Amino acid sequence: MASSAERATEGPGSAAPRGRGAKRDLTAELGKSEMLLDSLRGLNPLSLLSNPVMLTVEIAFFLALAVALYPQAFGRLASPDGRAFYVSVAALLLLTVWLASLTEAMAERQAKMSARSLRKMEAEVTCRKLVTVGWERLSTLVKSSELRKGDVLLVEAGEMVPIDGEVIEGIATVDEALVSGESRPVRKAPGDILIGGSCVTSDSLTIRVAANPGETFVDRMIQLVETSKRPKTPNEKALSVVLLGFTAIFSIVIASLLGLGLALGLSLDIGILLALYVCLLPTTIGALLPAIGISGIARLQKSRVLAKSGRAIETAGDTDVILLDKTGTITVGNRRAVEFVPFTGYTERDVGEAAFLSSWHDDTPEGRSIITLAYERGFVPRELNALALAESSAFSAATRLSRVKLVPSKGFLVKGGLGINQRERHRRKSFDAAGEIEELEILKGAPDAVKPLAKKLPAEFDTIVDGISGSGDTAMIILKNGIPLGAVRLKDELRRGIVEKIVSLREMGIRPVMLTGDQSLTAERIANEAGIEEYIARAKPEDKFRVVQSEQSQSKVVAMIGDGTNDAPALALSDIGLAMNSGTQAAKEAANFVDLDSDPAKIIDIVVLGKQLLTTRGAVTTFSLANDVAKYFAILPVLFAASEPALRSLNILGLSLHTAVLSALLFNALIIPILVPLALRGVPFRPSSTMSIFLRNFAIYGLGGLVVPFVGIKLIDIVLSTLAGWVA
Amino acid sequence: MDLSEAFELFLILGSVLISARLLAPYVAGVYTNSRSRLERVFAPLEKLIFRALGVDALRVMGWKEYFLSAVIANAFAMALAFVILMFQNFFPLDPQGFHGLSLGLAFQTVVSFGTNTNLQHYNGESSLSYLSQMGAIQFLQFSSAATGICFGVAMVRGFITGSKGLGNFYSDFVRTITRILLPFSLLSSVALVWLGVPQTISGYASVIGIEGIRQTIPVGPVASLVSIMQIGTNGGGYYGANSAYPLQNPNPATDVLELYLMMLLPTCLIFAFGRLLGKKREARPLLISAYSLYALNLLVAFLAPLPSAQAPGIEVRFGGFLSTFWTVTTTSTMTGSVNASLYAMNPLAILSAFMGMFVQAAPGGVGSGLAYMLMYVLITVFVVGLMSGRTPEYLGLKIGARDLKLLMLAFLIHPLIILVPTILAYVSGAAAAVNAGSGPLGLTAIMYEFASAASNNGSDFLGAAANTQFFNLSTAFVMLIGRYAPLGLLMALSGSMIGRKRFFTTGLDTASFAFSGVLVLSVLVLVVLTFLPFLALGPILSYLRGMVNGFG
Repeated sequence: MASSAERATEGPGSAAPRGRGAKRDLTAELGKSEMLLDSLRGLNPLSLLSNPVMLTVEIAFFLALAVALYPQAFGRLASPDGRAFYVSVAALLLLTVWLASLTEAMAERQAKMSARSLRKMEAEVTCRKLVTVGWERLSTLVKSSELRKGDVLLVEAGEMVPIDGEVIEGIATVDEALVSGESRPVRKAPGDILIGGSCVTSDSLTIRVAANPGETFVDRMIQLVETSKRPKTPNEKALSVVLLGFTAIFSIVIASLLGLGLALGLSLDIGILLALYVCLLPTTIGALLPAIGISGIARLQKSRVLAKSGRAIETAGDTDVILLDKTGTITVGNRRAVEFVPFTGYTERDVGEAAFLSSWHDDTPEGRSIITLAYERGFVPRELNALALAESSAFSAATRLSRVKLVPSKGFLVKGGLGINQRERHRRKSFDAAGEIEELEILKGAPDAVKPLAKKLPAEFDTIVDGISGSGDTAMIILKNGIPLGAVRLKDELRRGIVEKIVSLREMGIRPVMLTGDQSLTAERIANEAGIEEYIARAKPEDKFRVVQSEQSQSKVVAMIGDGTNDAPALALSDIGLAMNSGTQAAKEAANFVDLDSDPAKIIDIVVLGKQLLTTRGAVTTFSLANDVAKYFAILPVLFAASEPALRSLNILGLSLHTAVLSALLFNALIIPILVPLALRGVPFRPSSTMSIFLRNFAIYGLGGLVVPFVGIKLIDIVLSTLAGWVA
Repeated sequence: MDLSEAFELFLILGSVLISARLLAPYVAGVYTNSRSRLERVFAPLEKLIFRALGVDALRVMGWKEYFLSAVIANAFAMALAFVILMFQNFFPLDPQGFHGLSLGLAFQTVVSFGTNTNLQHYNGESSLSYLSQMGAIQFLQFSSAATGICFGVAMVRGFITGSKGLGNFYSDFVRTITRILLPFSLLSSVALVWLGVPQTISGYASVIGIEGIRQTIPVGPVASLVSIMQIGTNGGGYYGANSAYPLQNPNPATDVLELYLMMLLPTCLIFAFGRLLGKKREARPLLISAYSLYALNLLVAFLAPLPSAQAPGIEVRFGGFLSTFWTVTTTSTMTGSVNASLYAMNPLAILSAFMGMFVQAAPGGVGSGLAYMLMYVLITVFVVGLMSGRTPEYLGLKIGARDLKLLMLAFLIHPLIILVPTILAYVSGAAAAVNAGSGPLGLTAIMYEFASAASNNGSDFLGAAANTQFFNLSTAFVMLIGRYAPLGLLMALSGSMIGRKRFFTTGLDTASFAFSGVLVLSVLVLVVLTFLPFLALGPILSYLRGMVNGFG
């Protein structure tokens, strides 16, 4: 590896310019000054059109400004002595609007930062483009930004894959740590998908570029997020209607107060009236609503999940049923072979060697683990050299069988470019054993798939199979020329933390359903261990579609995970579909979320995030409206102080008449930045039943919203009146 | 309020709750076309009516058709009553020889009774003939109460799983009258007559009193009018002094009976809601909220010292307790009948009365109260329910932007049509014309007039003094908008629930006690936020100035 590291620093396609270092540069680029500028741009009334609450506050600001400049023009409604007061009211109103637009700018910045950190084509690399001229392939050095879809590249060990592509030649190990967080290098063979940004660690690959720079699937999804013209989600739309409704109600109230004041000859002050108006408006939620939505997408990106729409995140909060694939979600990646169990008359070696042969062409992780186990035990068959010429059919989910047929031969051929190093080692070891071999057909498959193909069944067939699956493991039967030799025991391990996640799902009232291709006994064992009641055993990929359909027909909101092309229809049908980035393009197109880390268990985090978003919106809205009660008690006594002194007894807080209005306004403005962390991070969320989440939040934000402003306004008033005392 | 009075209160409300619960299956059955024990009486009668009207009573209507049918039927009824009132001297049954009403007053009166408001700008005993009392007033009291119940039931139908429409207005309307209003009124009329309320059409009695002076006693078909006015939460009495008048409400026994009748149907309809829905539990939060808000109104009213029986405007036979109890109940149910002068009430009792008319659902008028409570439920489910971490849903129906548009509009019409005309009354000088000053008492009287009109309540401070062009026209329009606009919007909302996808999930449990508590708080905050400054300038200011009633 030392040599490849050296090459990495000097050769083309060196990985140095990108990665974590590059990300830091980008963060600096999106500096705070730009955010401040954005927040100032947000003061433009035209940009406030989509936020009626803040637009109203700004209109109130202009009115207050007019009063401050020409109090005489307002006749009885304003006194020229109150100029200082009007100036402070206007300033506080402007502060309120600015804090709102600053909040939005902060959220935008957060989203952009997390989006750019995900972008893969930021740093330019040189790479080797292959051009076929006649019979010869020539390699030329080009910049990665000049690559076009369909170009063929050669990537050698130590180099970075510059862009998404498909392997057309060669087998190599690839480190995808940078793009998927998976630290273990994975093996890539022709037909496999390569993600731009991953590194080839051994051998070399020829790849075909799948997309133009900046147009890869992930790039397109990030662009969707970055465009600030983000469509409102259904709940945001509904909430905007509510806010507009309250704005209208309080406009009626204030206009009526003004009208009534004039009609009854009360000496009302327009400055106080404007202050009351803005205090009543749901400014807190009006200011934080855009930020809450943006931060949802940003937080999702931080956990390296891309959402196609904000709507999808919201729907995730409504999930009733989650379809969980056993493999990869509930159990650790893949099953591992742990034991060869021979039937009577055969030895462990017989089973191990046959399993080795049958697994040579089987590229599934199970297949590879069988090779590893056989190799560790020293069960390397002498027919190894015949394998290269063997006819084979790979394991498929539909037949649940893999087959290899060896034809009589001497010696072997090694196909060019195919994993030379690895094969070389095997060849040397088994060379002495190489000799003439007879025709041989080995089948490997699930017990029920193999059973009808077996020429005779040993008596203990069922006992052994049931014994293996009864303990939660999976049995693979090895058939040599139609004779069952024995079974391979494949072991499943639960993923760490999955049991806790399932428990929290159930607490939220969400039904997890496990899908697996295994037979029922195995499925039941794993489901029990994970704490899942419902499972579907012997499931074929198309079963997912059927399950989604039947759950939806019962009006359930269904979430699922998929990566294969045959998952695509189900992903498209489901309400929440999470595709793995390692999956096929079709799956990614059909899903509404793509996980760059290809970690299926993240679906649970998405559901929690969806719930958190809704909860945060509801909490801030309730808080905002509940606050109004206290603000009435702070401002009304001052508003009526001159004309109706008896109403001073409404001043239950004992505020100073000179500072009460400014205290309420200041509280109203300051509560916005105080709640920004809440909006950006979401209200603390503990998975539990819908009703207890509701009641807990109602106690905190509803009842708290009634009480907090009384305390807050009183404290601000104490400070302000003390200050005023010093000045005077 | 002493212990025996508290006992009396619980006894009355307890019997209301028990009988409402017992009657609920029958009332709900009227709208599910269930057979009643008197089917042999009702069915042929209804068949006859349907044939005469030429309607197919089984055809299900959408919200537009249902609502329009109701509006048209109401308009017809009002037109008919209008003709009778305008030309009562040309019709029979006018032994006192009263003249027809003026155009403005006749218009205001038919709108007032047609919208279940019963705001009276006339004194019945000195201006309406027997035909007018029976053919115009009582007739409209039946039809408007029936229409209100129809609106409530139709609103509920949108939420019933699998319903195809809001029902058939004509069928609901006729069946409400034949199966609920007529039998109930008949029974209570008999009870009232037995307790001493007159029922005659033989002309005013002329007797020599104990002072030896000849007096004219205005008697007429009083008992029948009083029963429907209370049962149908109408409130417009036979006499100008309403149930404070000795012949309409002669003794504490009739007073208690009339109190009971006011609360009966609004409460019963809440129970019926659960049954119509097929989810009896869901009636719980509505009932708890309605009664909690009502209890709160009673509490506020009883906080102040009760007026003494000898106080001006209080009837000696009822005293302070029954008068205050009545005032709160009549405004919580949108009935609007009175058994004492509102001027005699403590400002806190008036504050309660305002709260009842602002909430409109504690428990509110027949049918309309139910519809408004559902409006509050939906607003609460959305705003507060978001905090449960799911898209808010009620009965499995998700609430979207369009629903909220309708809900917020239905809610904000109410403050608009109370506050704007109040200001207009002052600006135009109409308030000064009825001697309403700019002080808290004057504002209370004027704002009360429009709050009463907007909520279709009907009680008022001004009475026959408000028979001016401004008040006749303004209250008429406020009553029309207050009746048909919000209910029309709510019907549109309910209509849009038909065929909407339902989610049967473990979301927010709207039938729980916890949600009921949240609902009460949210209704209070909504209403207080909207009206507090105006209450502060009216009854609250009166109270803070140390006034004990409207006389000083």
